[in-house]
Amino acid sequence: MSEENWIEVGSTDSIEEEDLIRFDHQDKTFCVYRLTDGFYATDGICTHEAVHLEDGLVMDDEIECPMHQGIFNIKSGEALSPPACEDLKTYPVKVDNDKIFIKID
Amino acid sequence: MNKNFIILGGGQAAVYAAREIRKNDKESNIKILSEENFLPYERPPLSKDFLLNKKNQEDLFFHSSDVLKNENIDFENISINKVDFENKKLFTKNDDFYSYDSLLISTGSENKKLSLDNNLNDDIYYLRNLEEAKTIKEKVSNKNKITIIGGGFIGLEIASSLSQLQKKVTVIEIGSQLMGRIIPKQIADLVQKTHIQYGNEIILNKQINKIIKKNGIYEILLNDNSLIETDFLIAGIGSAPSVKLFEHTNLKLDNGIVTNEFCETSIKDVYAAGDVSNFYHPLYERTIRLESYQHAQNHGICAGKNIAGVKTEYTSIPWMWSDQFNLNLQLTGICDDYDEIIERGNDINNGVIYFFLKNKNIRGACGLGIAGKVGRDIRITSKLTEKNIIVDKQILADQNQKLNKLIQK
Repeated sequence: MSEENWIEVGSTDSIEEEDLIRFDHQDKTFCVYRLTDGFYATDGICTHEAVHLEDGLVMDDEIECPMHQGIFNIKSGEALSPPACEDLKTYPVKVDNDKIFIKID
Repeated sequence: MNKNFIILGGGQAAVYAAREIRKNDKESNIKILSEENFLPYERPPLSKDFLLNKKNQEDLFFHSSDVLKNENIDFENISINKVDFENKKLFTKNDDFYSYDSLLISTGSENKKLSLDNNLNDDIYYLRNLEEAKTIKEKVSNKNKITIIGGGFIGLEIASSLSQLQKKVTVIEIGSQLMGRIIPKQIADLVQKTHIQYGNEIILNKQINKIIKKNGIYEILLNDNSLIETDFLIAGIGSAPSVKLFEHTNLKLDNGIVTNEFCETSIKDVYAAGDVSNFYHPLYERTIRLESYQHAQNHGICAGKNIAGVKTEYTSIPWMWSDQFNLNLQLTGICDDYDEIIERGNDINNGVIYFFLKNKNIRGACGLGIAGKVGRDIRITSKLTEKNIIVDKQILADQNQKLNKLIQK
């Protein structure tokens, strides 16, 4: 749980509300979301087929995959609608001085 | 007293209906009668990841048998060959019968068969179910030149997969464009270009006059007298609703089983959902029959609610996709009833979408792009259509303007 695990994603104003940005770190891709009550992060690739969720639609607390409309809860990562059946991994997020950080294990 | 709910057919609509009934009714008996000896499975991967060996049979099932067991849903592999609607009974060929209080028919659709020389019937393969997909996968493994008759979704998806398996693929289509039944020509032409880039041969506007089998090789003679030699034949020339069982009954049929917006058929306590149903859509004010994943699921759920006594109108906006090579094609709404077309984007790397408008309202849209590039806008289009929101045409045409703002409160 050291400070080094927190990776800076960018400034808070880089994401509009009810929207997301893609964040690549080392060989992994993440999605960072701004919902009405704060910032959240998940893996950036759909668990159903390898497609980037950055092109998906954010509605309320859900991200819908742009390829086959699998739906995940952004906060819990739970797969809510087929063809997605495997949950999406989520990551802790914090905001410090208008900068967004995610904790990657 | 507990009711008996029977679901005839064991596909996606069936299992989603069964689970929805159970959600609303904990007591009644629910039984799915399926001709296939598999639990309900996903069909879209059959022509793609299953052929490509990226997915196995066990990856395809919607739910394990435990899920159905836990929800007390019976699944029986049995063939029904007579329906007595008057006495609410379904008969097997041995005259065993099942009694129902409410019946859901979700028998799906079946392949249209090519009518050529009868001696060749066993030489032409079709792909709709898991058994057929397994057969094709096994048979093509030692074949090189494959000919696909029919340039619709299924034929082109198989063509894409077999090309990725290093086969030499030829597609013969009778019409003047690919996927002509539902996809606009602009998008079809882009798909065709991609197939050609990957080495597939696409032949349009040609009819097959004759197929001759010689030493295990087939010679296909076309109506312009050209000849194609091939090792293996696959046909995908469309489908028809599976209604044979009901042809001499009182059930109203017209391009499938006619249902209203509540999935009710012309016979009381008999419902239909999925591919087999020609359903009334209140938004489009007409009947529509769809063969798609999203529809099978949502229509099944809607039927399940209505059967369980939760009166629910089916207003889902049609949506379907096709994946070929690295492209994802999506269609929403209806694209055959419009007075104006608007184009968004002109490069498949960023996605190209055509919107179809009537009286300024979006009726449907069709898009094509590298995987994932059109999905969000197509999904937003479904929502705009559903809510009858009139959108500034300049915004639709400008890919730099995000559409998600249009549906936010």
